[in-house]
Amino acid sequence: MAAPLELSCWAGGWGLPSVHSESLVVMAYAKFCGAPLKVNVIDNTWRGSRGDVPILTTEDNMVSQPAKILNFLRKQKYNADYELSAKQGADTLAYIALLEEKLLPAVLHTFWVESDNYFTVTKPWFASQIPFPLSLILPGRMSKGALNRILLTRGQPPLYHLREVEAQIYRDAKECLNLLSNRLGTSQFFFGDTPSTLDAYVFGFLAPLYKVRFPKVQLQEHLKQLSNLCRFCDDILSSYFRLSLGDG
Amino acid sequence: IYLVAESKSAEPWPENATLYQQLKGEQILLSDNAASLAVQAFLQMCNLPIKVVCRANAEYMSPSGKVPFIHVGNQVISELGPIVQFVKAKGHSLSDGLGEVQKAEMKAYMELVNNMLLTAELYLQWCDEATVGEITHARYGSPYPWPLNHILAYQKQWEVKRKMKAIGWGKKTLDQLNATYVTPVSTFRPTELDALVFGHLYTILTTQLTNDELSEKVKNYSNLLAFCRRIEQHYFEDRGKGRLS
Repeated sequence: MAAPLELSCWAGGWGLPSVHSESLVVMAYAKFCGAPLKVNVIDNTWRGSRGDVPILTTEDNMVSQPAKILNFLRKQKYNADYELSAKQGADTLAYIALLEEKLLPAVLHTFWVESDNYFTVTKPWFASQIPFPLSLILPGRMSKGALNRILLTRGQPPLYHLREVEAQIYRDAKECLNLLSNRLGTSQFFFGDTPSTLDAYVFGFLAPLYKVRFPKVQLQEHLKQLSNLCRFCDDILSSYFRLSLGDG
Repeated sequence: IYLVAESKSAEPWPENATLYQQLKGEQILLSDNAASLAVQAFLQMCNLPIKVVCRANAEYMSPSGKVPFIHVGNQVISELGPIVQFVKAKGHSLSDGLGEVQKAEMKAYMELVNNMLLTAELYLQWCDEATVGEITHARYGSPYPWPLNHILAYQKQWEVKRKMKAIGWGKKTLDQLNATYVTPVSTFRPTELDALVFGHLYTILTTQLTNDELSEKVKNYSNLLAFCRRIEQHYFEDRGKGRLS
């Protein structure tokens, strides 16, 4: 509790504390369990080049990847899942797997692969956050990484071509959104009245999709029709991230 | 992925429906065996007869490159997901009675099983050097003459390693395997989730590998062992099919 916890992550925009899903997951989780995080957004003075963000630093530790960071926070007694039953804990793992398999490819595609979106929104935004000459290299690398991930995990014969994979991944993503909406129903959070790890993950994946203004918006349009999911994101934003005060 | 003829749902399930997989004794690997068993269990649960045929080139015969695949009438469908949908179009479903939320949970758990068990199996088979050297390489290349056997095995290994790296499984993450998931769906009738879990668990428990970590982990959970035994007895022994080898 004594050592300060610092989180390096991508900055916010469009009303979000961060536009990067993984950074958002960690930030939301920290807010839910009251972990005092000092947020350092990446800016023109950033010297790291690995693109491993978000990264949590304490006095003697450096942890990357949301799952590992959340684990670390739990070990420090910041546990948002304290009240969950064993089954709910297992459900959490299952739904996170669902998010990563079915929703993530389409989110990655919307941000990093769809050319209109990438060249007019994503690339300029990320490039503006980092110093030259990194700004020339990193966005391209992140885009290739996203494409790679999509093709390797979803593109199998005969779906080697991106266009066919695209149709499938958007279908899967829409189905996943429907499933999430069904599961959430009219509750405030996924497991009752207090937010947990699953809420952090769903928020992290959905909020950028919901708020960032893209030219090509098919998945966004679908999400906007699921009003309970939109309400879920807005509630978390207004309760935990009072953006109007310029809070990180 | 499936190739569909125009009149897909009209015909009833034929008696000569066949399931294709690799050669049981010398060739098939842990992950493919698990997938095949899952489909067999699913079809048994639906009461649909299926004949298992082993072919060395089953992987290449499959429309999606994955095993198992089934040949029903004049259609060929591979992988559990599409097979479940195909069977549903013919009027057989195990999960119809579930509510929306339960269906969502079932889908989520199926992803979790794929995410954890299948990935762990693939990792063990293709990225654990001891297992690769002693078992996988030899088995995968067994139907082919030299040097094709080596080339194909290395190519497959490279493919799997690339995929592992893309999803962040580069380093050994077997310790993260959390086998405490509970089967949440209805206890009245088993569903495709149970078929999938059974396929993987049974294969993990009964396959001899150089690295026992995975099967030891599963053995720690008596409820999972009981689950496997129940499914095996009810769907594979009772039907006079004889024990699963």
